[in-house]
Amino acid sequence: MEAGGEEFAIGVVISAKTTLGEEFEGQIVAFDRPSKLLVIHEGVGRAERGERRNVRVLKANYIREFSVVSKGDDPLDPAGCMLDLDAIYAREEAALRQAEIDAERIGVGVTPEAQSIFDALSKTLPVQWDKTDIVVMKEVRVRSPYMPENVSGGTAAANERVKKVIDFERKRLHARVPGLS
Amino acid sequence: MMSHQQHMAPPSRGSVNGFPHRKLEKESSGRHDNKTNLVRSSSGGLSGAENGIILGHGSHSRDRLIYVLTQLIGHHVDVHVKNGSIISGIFHATNSDKDFGVVLKMAQVIKDGSTKGQRYAADIIKKPETMIIPARELVQVFAKDVALGGDELPKGPGHDKRKDLLIDSAISRTHYLEERELERWAPDEGDSECIELEKYDRKGNRSWDQFETNAALFGVKSTFNEEIYTTKLERGPHMRELEKHASRIAREIEGEDTKDIHLAEERGLFLGDDLDHDEEIKYSAVRRDTDNSKYKSFTNVPSSTHHVDSFNRTVNIDPKDSLACSSTMGEESSSYTFDNTDSSAIIQANNVSQPKFDDPSNKPFSVGENRLDKKLSKDNNESLDNRKLQPENNLSAGVRPLISEGLDGPPSSSQPSSSGQGFKSPETPDSTVSVKPSVMEPMTSSQRPGSSTSSTSERIAANSVASAPGLSPSSSIGSLTSEKSTLNPNAKEFKLNPNAKSFTPSVSLRPPNPPASDASYYYPNNMPAAPLGPGLPVGMTFPPAYGGQPVMYNPQPGTPPQGYMHPAGPQVRKL
Repeated sequence: MEAGGEEFAIGVVISAKTTLGEEFEGQIVAFDRPSKLLVIHEGVGRAERGERRNVRVLKANYIREFSVVSKGDDPLDPAGCMLDLDAIYAREEAALRQAEIDAERIGVGVTPEAQSIFDALSKTLPVQWDKTDIVVMKEVRVRSPYMPENVSGGTAAANERVKKVIDFERKRLHARVPGLS
Repeated sequence: MMSHQQHMAPPSRGSVNGFPHRKLEKESSGRHDNKTNLVRSSSGGLSGAENGIILGHGSHSRDRLIYVLTQLIGHHVDVHVKNGSIISGIFHATNSDKDFGVVLKMAQVIKDGSTKGQRYAADIIKKPETMIIPARELVQVFAKDVALGGDELPKGPGHDKRKDLLIDSAISRTHYLEERELERWAPDEGDSECIELEKYDRKGNRSWDQFETNAALFGVKSTFNEEIYTTKLERGPHMRELEKHASRIAREIEGEDTKDIHLAEERGLFLGDDLDHDEEIKYSAVRRDTDNSKYKSFTNVPSSTHHVDSFNRTVNIDPKDSLACSSTMGEESSSYTFDNTDSSAIIQANNVSQPKFDDPSNKPFSVGENRLDKKLSKDNNESLDNRKLQPENNLSAGVRPLISEGLDGPPSSSQPSSSGQGFKSPETPDSTVSVKPSVMEPMTSSQRPGSSTSSTSERIAANSVASAPGLSPSSSIGSLTSEKSTLNPNAKEFKLNPNAKSFTPSVSLRPPNPPASDASYYYPNNMPAAPLGPGLPVGMTFPPAYGGQPVMYNPQPGTPPQGYMHPAGPQVRKL
C-alpha cells in the first residue's frame, strides 16, 4: 500500500489498480486523509448541472498502484456545491419504493426457470409470489414445477387463460433457450 | 503507510489531532475492537505537525467527501468489501462522524467473495434487506450516474428528470423571458416549388380530380351527381353568352368599391390605414357590433311601404326591419336595410357591412315579397316556377351567389307582404315591369350601390321583358345578375292581387350563411333542399359563384317556410 497521500491532489487524473483486481481511471474530486477515502469521478472536468458521472469512493489503501495521467482543475465548484436535501430524500424514497416493487417480483428460493416464467407471466397478468407459488390475479395458483397441470384455482375462464399463457410462455422460453427444462 | 487499524486515543484527551472524540456507535457491529474505536487520527501515522496541516486540508476535504457522499443518498451503489464481495443496494447513510461506514437499504450481496471461486450469488436469492458495512470492511463505493454538479432544476410536478418528457411548464421554467425578434418565414431556397397546394393548369382550371384519384387509389366509386345539387347547366348555344354575361357581372361586382374592410382586402382595395384596425378587427371571425346592434333578421320582409302600397297591399311589416339574409346580421350595413323611405328591401346575402342600399330609383321591391307572395299563392307556384326558372339556369359561376341568397332569404323568411297572396300567377304586365327593376336590386349584391344594381336590374328587366313578357317579378329575381332569367318562361304570369290577404311574417328566415368564412357572398350551404316554401321558382339554383357551394332550391309548394331559423334571429311567430 503506497502512501500516495501527497499525490492525491484535487484535479489530478490518475489511472489505478486496486488490490481486488479492479482497474479504473478518473479524476480526483476529493481526498480525505483521516478516512483515507479518495473520491474519483470518471471523466475529466467539471460536471455541469445535471451532468452525470460515475463516482468512486475508494479507500486509498487498497490502491495497488497508480499513475498520474494528467493534471486538471478542481472538478467541484466550491461555490456551487449545493445540497438539495429535499430532492435527495425524495429520490431516496422513490428508489426505495421502486426497489420494493422490484423485490416483490423476485421469488425467494425459486429456480431461475421459475423466475423466468414469473417474469413472462407478469408481462400480461398481475402476478405475485407466494413463497414458491405464483399467484395470478390473486386467484389462480401455479405451483412448482409450473406446468399447465399445476395451475389451479380461480374461475374457469381465468384458469384456462393462465394455463394457456403458461403453455405459451414455456414454449417460447424453450424455443429461445433450449434445455431450459 | 497508514494502517487501517483504528487508533485508540486516550479518552482523556480532549481531541485527537484536533478532532473531537466520538465514541463509535453501532456502526460496526460485532467487532469488539470497534467499541474502542475513536476518531481515527487524520494522519493515521503521520506526525502531529502534519496532522495540523492536514487538518486544515482535512476539513476541506472532509467537506468535499461529505458533499459527495450526501449526493449519493438514494442512488443505487455497489459496495466492494474486503473479502471481495459486492453488495448492491440503495445508499442510505454514512457515518461521517467517524470513518464512514456505509448503510445500504434494500441491499443484497450480488457477488460473494467469500466462497471459493467467488461465483455470483445469483443462485441464492434472498430478500433484500438493510445492510451496514463497517468502514473496516469497506473498500469502495461505486455509484453510477451521479450528478456531482447538482441536479437539474426541478421540473415541477413529478420532478420528472426525463428529458423526453418536457412539459410546457418545464420548458418555460428554464427559459427566462427572452423576447425575440420575430422574422417572417420565408421558404428555403429551392423549396418554393413544393408549396403548391392546388394544382392548376395554365387556364386556371384545377387539374386534380379527386374522384379519379379515389377510384384509382382506393377503388371507391363515387356516386356524386353534380346535378342533384345544382341547376343543370344547359350547355347549349346560349352558353357562351350567358357565361360572358355572368363573368362581366362578376367582374363588376368584384371590382366594386366597398367600405367593408374584408371585402376591400380581398379585392385589393386600399381602404386607408386605419390604425384602429388591428389584426383582430381585420381577421377575426368574431363580429363585433359597431353601431348597428340591431340584429336584422328576416322577420319582416321589408316590403317597402311604397311599393307595397302601390299594390294595395296590407303589409304589416315594419319597414325598419331589414330583411336579413345573412346570419351575421349584426353589422350595421348588414344587408337588409329596409329603408322605410326608400321602401327598398335590400336583401343582402352576405354579412358584409354595407352601406345602406339607398337606391331611390329602383327600390328593390321586396323581392322576397314577390316571392313570398308567390309562395302564398299556391296556384302561382308551379307556373311561376316554371316560368321563372328556366331561362336562368344558365347562370354561370359569375353570378353572385347573392342571387340565391336573396331568393332564399325572403321567401323562406317571413312572407312579408301578406299581400303576396294577392299575387296570382298571372302577373299584370305593368306590375311586372314596374316591379322588375326593383326586384332586381335586392338580388344583386348587397354591396352594390344603387347604380350598378339598377343598371343591372334594368338590363335584366329589359331582358326579361324582352324575353318573357309578363314574367313575374320573381322571375327576375332569379335572373338578378344575369340577363337571362332562369325563371321558367312557361310559368303562369304573375298578377298582383291587391286584395290578397295580408301576411304575417313567419318564422324561419333562412339566414344565408355563417359569417366570416365566406368573405362576401355565401350560400346557405347547409340547406341543400331549402324549404323555401311555395312561390319560389323551382329549379332556381345558383351555380357556385362564390365558394362553390351550390344550393338547390326546391321549394315545395305549399310548404310554409320553416326549417331554417337563424340561430340568433328573432323567432317570428309562424303564420
